[in-house]
Amino acid sequence: MTQIELTIDGKAVTVDEGTSVFDAARLHGIPVPVLCHQQNERPIGVCRVCSVDCGERVLQASCVRPAENGMKVETNSDKVKKARRMLIELLMSDHPSPCARQRQSGDCELEMLAAAEGITAPRFAKRISPRGQDNSSLVISVDHEACILCDRCIRGCDEVRHNDVLGRRGKGYNAGIAFDLSQPMGKSSCVSCGECMVSCPTGALTNKSVIQTVLPNGTPVRADELKQLPFFRNVSGTFLDLNGNAVIKRHFKAGDIMCREGEYGSTAFYILEGKVQIFLATPMAHVTTGGGVSGFIQKLTSRLTGSAEKPGTHHSRPTSIQIDAPVDLEYNNPVAELGPGDLFGEMTCMNLYPRSATVRASTDCVMLEMLRNVLDVIQRNKTMRAELELNYRRRALDDHLRTVPLFAGLSREFVESLATKVELVRLSKGDVICRQGEIADAFYLVRIGFVKVTEERTGGDLVLAYLGKGGYFGEIGLLTTRGLRTATVTALDHVELVRIDGKEFHEMLELVPSIKRDLMAVAREREEQNKRHMGAVNAITLDSFLSQGLMESNSLLLIDLDKCTRCDNCVRACADAHDGVTRLIREGLRFDNYLVATSCRQCRDPLCMVGCPVGSIRRRNSLEIVIEDWCVGCGLCARNCPYGNINMHPFEAMVKDLPQGQKAVVSYKATSCDLCSEHAEPSCVYACPHDAAHRVDPNEFFKNYSGAKITELS
Amino acid sequence: MFRRGCRGLVLLSIPEAFKGGKLIFDKLREIQRKHGYLAADPLQALSKQLNVPLYQINGVAEFYPEFHLAPPAKFHIEVCRDMVCHLRGADRLTADLRQRFMPMGKRVVDVHERSCLGQCDAAPALTINEAVFRDATSEQTEILVRASMAGLDAPPHVPAHLPVELKADPYVNTEKYGALRELVKTRDWEGVISSLKEAALGGMGGAGFPTSIKWDVVKKTPGDPKYIVCNADESEPGTIKDRFIMTHAPHLVVEGVIIGALVTGARTGYIYLRHEYREQEAILREELEYCRKEKLLGDGILGTELSFHLEMFISPGGYICGEGSAQLEAIEGKRAEPRNRPPNSATHGLWMKPTVLNNVETFANVPQILTRGVQWYRSQGHHEAASGLKFVGISGDIQRPGVYEIPMGLPLSEVVYGLAGGPPDGRKVKAFAPSGAASGYQPASKLDTRLDFKSMAAAGTMLGSGAIVILDETRCILDMALNTVTFFRNESCGKCVPCRMGSAKMADMLAGWTRGKGQESDFELIADLSETMKQTSICGLGQFVPYPILTALQNFREEIEAHVLHRKCPAGVCPMRGDEVTR
Repeated sequence: MTQIELTIDGKAVTVDEGTSVFDAARLHGIPVPVLCHQQNERPIGVCRVCSVDCGERVLQASCVRPAENGMKVETNSDKVKKARRMLIELLMSDHPSPCARQRQSGDCELEMLAAAEGITAPRFAKRISPRGQDNSSLVISVDHEACILCDRCIRGCDEVRHNDVLGRRGKGYNAGIAFDLSQPMGKSSCVSCGECMVSCPTGALTNKSVIQTVLPNGTPVRADELKQLPFFRNVSGTFLDLNGNAVIKRHFKAGDIMCREGEYGSTAFYILEGKVQIFLATPMAHVTTGGGVSGFIQKLTSRLTGSAEKPGTHHSRPTSIQIDAPVDLEYNNPVAELGPGDLFGEMTCMNLYPRSATVRASTDCVMLEMLRNVLDVIQRNKTMRAELELNYRRRALDDHLRTVPLFAGLSREFVESLATKVELVRLSKGDVICRQGEIADAFYLVRIGFVKVTEERTGGDLVLAYLGKGGYFGEIGLLTTRGLRTATVTALDHVELVRIDGKEFHEMLELVPSIKRDLMAVAREREEQNKRHMGAVNAITLDSFLSQGLMESNSLLLIDLDKCTRCDNCVRACADAHDGVTRLIREGLRFDNYLVATSCRQCRDPLCMVGCPVGSIRRRNSLEIVIEDWCVGCGLCARNCPYGNINMHPFEAMVKDLPQGQKAVVSYKATSCDLCSEHAEPSCVYACPHDAAHRVDPNEFFKNYSGAKITELS
Repeated sequence: MFRRGCRGLVLLSIPEAFKGGKLIFDKLREIQRKHGYLAADPLQALSKQLNVPLYQINGVAEFYPEFHLAPPAKFHIEVCRDMVCHLRGADRLTADLRQRFMPMGKRVVDVHERSCLGQCDAAPALTINEAVFRDATSEQTEILVRASMAGLDAPPHVPAHLPVELKADPYVNTEKYGALRELVKTRDWEGVISSLKEAALGGMGGAGFPTSIKWDVVKKTPGDPKYIVCNADESEPGTIKDRFIMTHAPHLVVEGVIIGALVTGARTGYIYLRHEYREQEAILREELEYCRKEKLLGDGILGTELSFHLEMFISPGGYICGEGSAQLEAIEGKRAEPRNRPPNSATHGLWMKPTVLNNVETFANVPQILTRGVQWYRSQGHHEAASGLKFVGISGDIQRPGVYEIPMGLPLSEVVYGLAGGPPDGRKVKAFAPSGAASGYQPASKLDTRLDFKSMAAAGTMLGSGAIVILDETRCILDMALNTVTFFRNESCGKCVPCRMGSAKMADMLAGWTRGKGQESDFELIADLSETMKQTSICGLGQFVPYPILTALQNFREEIEAHVLHRKCPAGVCPMRGDEVTR
């Protein structure tokens, strides 16, 4: 990307072309005050508070002004300060100070700016015609008087959440925000996701405190306390208020384990006091075992570890690694220590995969535990986001390289030096990683997600294999003399890869010839296997396995159609177990002679969890996805689930309706299969009189199924 | 986080069915014709039909004055309240009409105020159910309403215009569209741009930006398709010249647009006309029909492979639609809220494609320059530094208001006294606004200034759109400043804070002054506010809001001080009572 140079407040800075002046200043530690611009939203430049002097006829709103080469920007000249002060004074003149936000969490952005400018009594007369309040929504209270028309809620509703409810109404001084056809919020199609409220800089949209998040085992922390910590400084008080117990304070004693590698979770920890140690337990805790290539790797790793060519090995390590069971590898040698101000556990929140390390308190500790949605909101600030991203990449590479069996025989130093040279690559569904016939330039390790390996043939692509965590590819092209890719690799979902450049790869192989030897063997094996695949008809089955997304599933409800009599006992059992509403529909796609029932698949990469505004859909410490009671019924998870496995369930709720007391209203909550985790077995499976219903891991179940070998090649 | 959850920065893609305001506005008009207003149920249905969210439909429905959100009265009367109509007693007329029709009830007749109708030469003007009536009186309005209630035919609105022979029309004795026919033969596109450059043709909407540069940028910017838009949304109080040109020389406007399209490579064009100009709409539609018949428009222009489609776009109303980028937003079917610049419309215009956007008069000048040559055009100016002919509207306290075709650079005094006969009854000119609301008020001493872009700028004012409004010695300058600032407040789109809040607070403050509620510190406050509005508003509207009061303070300081410091209106116009009901 082209770099451009400009001067901001006398400081020479370099940024990518296309960067806004606001971001250019931000990236170089020059804060520009702003109201209408939220970093996770498209800038629109309407409040003009971020106006700066770019040496042009008039001031420029820095959030929408692209930086230009040679531009000289003044963000704090007298001219700029005067204009900014006047804009804030104008807004304050109609602002009902202190507004609801200021009263609730003390962080109305307008009032904070006004206080910083020393504006106490605006010199302009207040608006005469009232703009009114709207209390019709159950969860959100609307005070149009406090609205500054920054459009943040509008972009939040329409562009971030795609709920398309909020817009601008009226014109000029009478403009305002409106729901649908200027209806009261409670009568509109609003789903109460709360995005507008969380985006609002003032008290125009605030929380009615109806929904209460309940995170166990700790004491809730008030919004104003959190706002004292730098980590939470950029989070809206309304959000923290709305998510009352989404951040809790917990105490741990030295030796306590906070999270375990391989466990699921949906919270991150921020260390207030004390120190913790990070441990990586097993290389490849999730590797599938068995014949084929996996078995080969077993052999490979044992040979590697026994090899004499480990450069600079000086610390004790096990002499062999069994992959069948988790083994305490370096369990007593923590890989890192973290202290106050550090964050951990966030990787699970960010990638929705199980914990990748174990964390143990080395002293008595005080922690803030927070739900994923809090982390999401923190990352709306681009600076925080960049910091977390950097951390994530560093930890992901570090963790992964240390747990790859292929590298298990490499020394700690070598892995550390390798970590600085490799790259973490993120891809979305459908992205092509490499194409058949291209020049091979890198070796890839799959860290997260699934990739599909296909070969172009006349009459269409043939799926050769799919690879999951721990798998690797790219070695054939690098090791064989042709130097070309023999297959196309495509991401099947959200994929994270560790990319080792061809040059580094070869260097590594020079240092550890045994890896080379064994990789060559893998390459040969794969090529042979590919040839076998070509002749096989079952590739079509594999293709449909992948296209139905079955490899994503951790637990699939399958109904054996040969045995099923359509008695519907399973559906009834489900309804009985869940307040009379079934979470299972005995319909769906077929795979071979099985019906894949419409019931939660407990995905490895659960799309449903992405963006939940209150963090209520989550995994506690185990596999099953639960929807906590604090669900607000916005329906996002139901829309996100590609398989239609989440239903919105109406129920009657009692709400306070002063002065009459309470009234009943229809509210919604999302429901999904929880694997009947309170019982020994899912009710549907238990109830089936014909032994037709099974909850299985499809990757295991179909592995050797009727000759159609569907297996991860790792 | 880094992944699917974050798609917020992707611009909303526009559904194919929603491509354009033509569709949405026509649908809304259809609903309004059928139901009398925009009822909720048909809007819900429309939202489903077009797959457009309700909030978007609501946003435009509430933005544009053409649309009613509640059932209007059987006779919906709207009196223009701005500038010239204000000078000619619009306030009294409104009050009188309200009194007359009160007994009938608001469901039968309701009387409202509205912004300038572009009939300043026959002020005051009003509309009855959107039909324009000029030189309106309350008696005549009552007769019209009562006649219509009695079942008599609605009288024709706006009297027909007599044909006028214009110096600017090169086709008085020859066939129309000669320049276009010639150009299609020679295909000398570059030649057109260089001719415009030599002729120094500037944007006649008021900015005076060189047309040749604009066309050249659009021509050279890669992009397909490209668009061309003729801004015929004349809405500034005092500005009436485009209406005159469209009435008497529609063929020059259309020819200019077609030439612009061929030169720049635009394949679709719109004439963006305010909906109140129904007569001009009919004239232009007829002209477009003629062109299509003569193969001057459409596919295969004059039997060649060239093609260009030009359509009318009827504005649903609002002064802000005259602002270039806001106009493009309106054509796209959105709220007419100006865009942040850069980028400019020449490179990122309609649907973010390269777009030519020029005023009616600018386009009308193009055939003149091409048929008669640059030399002829330059020689039409009054002096060396000014070229071409200019249409100016003059209205207010003047004996012969109307539109005059003058040599560019003619001294103002010759227009005011020579052509328009000066103020009536021997009164003296006190002040004048050279370009309607935005130009502010200049003292009579500046009447010697020549009417061209450079001379006016040198005199500390502007030629603008050529909309001269004369105030005679009986007028109060503060009253007029308040009227114009209020016009801007009413017409602000509300997108940015300085304009939305600033114009309202400024109008409030000036209204306070007229009621004796000023204080000395207000002068500093208004100076600060003005500077902020000029510096930080997104578009010209916000930047020009302060000019009426700033020029009044500059040129008539004593009179303003009399109001603020001594609570006196020297002209005896302002109420000067603190208990007056707010406007």
